[in-house]
Amino acid sequence: MFQIDKIAQIVLPMLEGSEVTLQIFLLTFVFVLPLGLLVALGHIAKCRSLRFAVEVYIWIMRGTPLMLQLLFVYFALPMIGIRLPDIAAALLAFTLNYTAYFAEIFRAGIQSIDRGQYEAAHMLGMSYGQTMRRIIIPQMVRRVLPPMSNETINLVKDTSLIYILAMNDLLRVARTIVQREFDMTPFLVAGVFYLVMTFVLTWGFNKLEVHFARYDA
Amino acid sequence: MSAEIMVRMHQIHKHFNGMEVLKGIDLEVKKGEVLAIIGPSGSGKSTLLRCLNHLETIDQGSIEVAGEFFAVESQNGQSEYAAATKARKIQGHMGMVFQQFNLFPHMTVMDNLIEAPIQVKKQKKEEILPLAEFLLQSVGLSDKRDAYPARLSGGQQQRVAIARALAMQPDIMLFDEPTSALDPELTGEVLKTMRQLAENKMTMLVVTHEMNFARDVANRVMFMADGSVIEEGIPLEIFGHPQQERTQSFLRNML
Repeated sequence: MFQIDKIAQIVLPMLEGSEVTLQIFLLTFVFVLPLGLLVALGHIAKCRSLRFAVEVYIWIMRGTPLMLQLLFVYFALPMIGIRLPDIAAALLAFTLNYTAYFAEIFRAGIQSIDRGQYEAAHMLGMSYGQTMRRIIIPQMVRRVLPPMSNETINLVKDTSLIYILAMNDLLRVARTIVQREFDMTPFLVAGVFYLVMTFVLTWGFNKLEVHFARYDA
Repeated sequence: MSAEIMVRMHQIHKHFNGMEVLKGIDLEVKKGEVLAIIGPSGSGKSTLLRCLNHLETIDQGSIEVAGEFFAVESQNGQSEYAAATKARKIQGHMGMVFQQFNLFPHMTVMDNLIEAPIQVKKQKKEEILPLAEFLLQSVGLSDKRDAYPARLSGGQQQRVAIARALAMQPDIMLFDEPTSALDPELTGEVLKTMRQLAENKMTMLVVTHEMNFARDVANRVMFMADGSVIEEGIPLEIFGHPQQERTQSFLRNML
């Protein structure tokens, strides 16, 4: 009985921590997909100043630590009067950062599509928007699934950085229990939790890859 | 009785990185006529076709398609193509078949055919299906309607590409070396489809290395070399009695 009690004492709060982790992860992921696509389209747009703006944005987001960006949004923005709730601050920082990475994945995917596809669509009278939406992006999705899978798994793990914002995510809960009980088990449990999450994602992405491979020879 | 002129290109000049690839080309194609453009690689024949449909832009000269100006020379001597809306309307007269087929790999054969009529012409699926089915039948691929392009042979893919272009009901068909990427034994089926099209009085411009096709199907043959038209005439003249030395040596090597 004592054992089950103890396990419950560890696992229950950690399940709550996982909820915070998953919340940050899922919301960021949902925001990043459309934003990343928009930024990617901006990166290959004809307009030079737009391309330049996108390049600077990507350079900053990839060129500075995510931790620094988190601290900036959380501590520096309030100094200029922008005060966000904890979760919104974390979401903002993760979204800004990951949009840059996803944009680069999408851009590479779009640019890997053969020029003949654009020419064929053009000769059939399709507009740029129609060509992108119906011809290019559907083919791009299939090609970017493997790198997307990578970045998505990174995102799950990077959510652990929010422990510095005093938010009770999975890692912070684990650490709190470890410090209180002088028992390393919670770290192991946290590891298992992360593994389960990334396993589900890997499985999901594999399913998607199989689905999109249906038109291969 | 003079037939309607469908394509008129006048004094077309085109440069690539300082090199002149088209040196003042004149070309006219009447309704229902099949023009074969032959010549060695790098002679500019594909570029000429790509300029006609604005996949490339000309530097100087003018282009008329179905009685409308597609590109005109402005005061400064530079040619400009029509603005977007008008350009799209003029392009709608032309269908194009590429050397590399360029089918949409993520769509079935049938979806390749009906995609543009639905997206561009805003036709309903039920409206376009009868024509699409008829076209697939006439290129002999009714049984492949639900297959993805990667499952088809090159010859089958090219026939689907022809059907796809025809589904937009163009008045003029442009063929850019349609059999050059095919295994020799597969060229016949594509040429047969093109022959049918010619028999149905489709206006066609065909850039090709298939001399038999040019001789048997074309009404007129144009021989290009180094960005210029060297010689032009009915197949009987060009293949029987070529006047220019360049034409003679080219044909000697090809036949």
